[in-house]
Amino acid sequence: MTLSVALGPDTQESTQTGTVTSTDALTAPDIPWNLVIWNDPVNLMSYVSYVFQSYFGYSEPKANKLMMEVHKKGRSIVAHGSKEQVEQHAVAMHGFGLWATVEKATGGGKDGGSGKGKGKRG
Amino acid sequence: MAKAFKYGLKGITGYLEPAERELLRSLIDDVISMLEPAESASEDPLTALIGLDMNVQEPSDRALRRLLPNVTRNDDAAALEFRQLTERSLRENKIGALRAAALGLDTNEVVLSPADARHWSQALNDVRLVLAERLDIRDDADAEHVHTMQDWSQAEDVESYLALVYNFTTWLQESLVQAMLQSMEQRG
Repeated sequence: MTLSVALGPDTQESTQTGTVTSTDALTAPDIPWNLVIWNDPVNLMSYVSYVFQSYFGYSEPKANKLMMEVHKKGRSIVAHGSKEQVEQHAVAMHGFGLWATVEKATGGGKDGGSGKGKGKRG
Repeated sequence: MAKAFKYGLKGITGYLEPAERELLRSLIDDVISMLEPAESASEDPLTALIGLDMNVQEPSDRALRRLLPNVTRNDDAAALEFRQLTERSLRENKIGALRAAALGLDTNEVVLSPADARHWSQALNDVRLVLAERLDIRDDADAEHVHTMQDWSQAEDVESYLALVYNFTTWLQESLVQAMLQSMEQRG
């Protein structure tokens, strides 16, 4: 995640500092997909927690809770989002060596409840 | 003997004997050669540019399938389509981390920047995933069984040797990740 900014001598006046455009706005926020992490006997618990903290920016308690859920229940939904978002996460997880898949959130697209806070576990 | 990684003033540091560095280098090279795509000579420059590869199929080798898993569980067609779009760059990403880790194996004293540490942890993880497939580790009981092999004088066949190598890389990765978690805590 290093940010490399190479500025040539002729770019001083044209560096943009003001606007940050987000592509998130282009994706429908209410189409729920899940990113699922599956248990395996190889990945270290500490490493899985490290990946959740460093990649998703989750707090240590949250990362550990999700990691234990993977370990004990065999799988855990660790992120929600549009199909494109969770697919991008899945590739990143595969890069770290975690076993990740994507799936449509259960309960149908209209339900929407599984995307936020109280979603059922396991 | 190797010393566990630790986090201190110089960052994340560790110590490896020449024989241990040689071992890690050969393990890393093995995984790199597994990940290097078969045919790269005669290819469409556009394919190379955008990473889309219609010839990609699900790997038949179990270990390779673990390194490059399907993105869906019950939809092989969707998984294959996704693989054609992404597998190439995933392979390159993994090879990049493995090569970066191998570069740090030139001296006994190992000093890792945060980026180095990330590459090392990814590389060690991929090495362990491949070894685990070769050792047929399918569940926690298998892993426990392999874990009991700690004494190098027990290395009498290929499997026990592999088990000892697996345990060494596991120990090394665990100490590295602990040091990384500690450094994350300190940096906030």
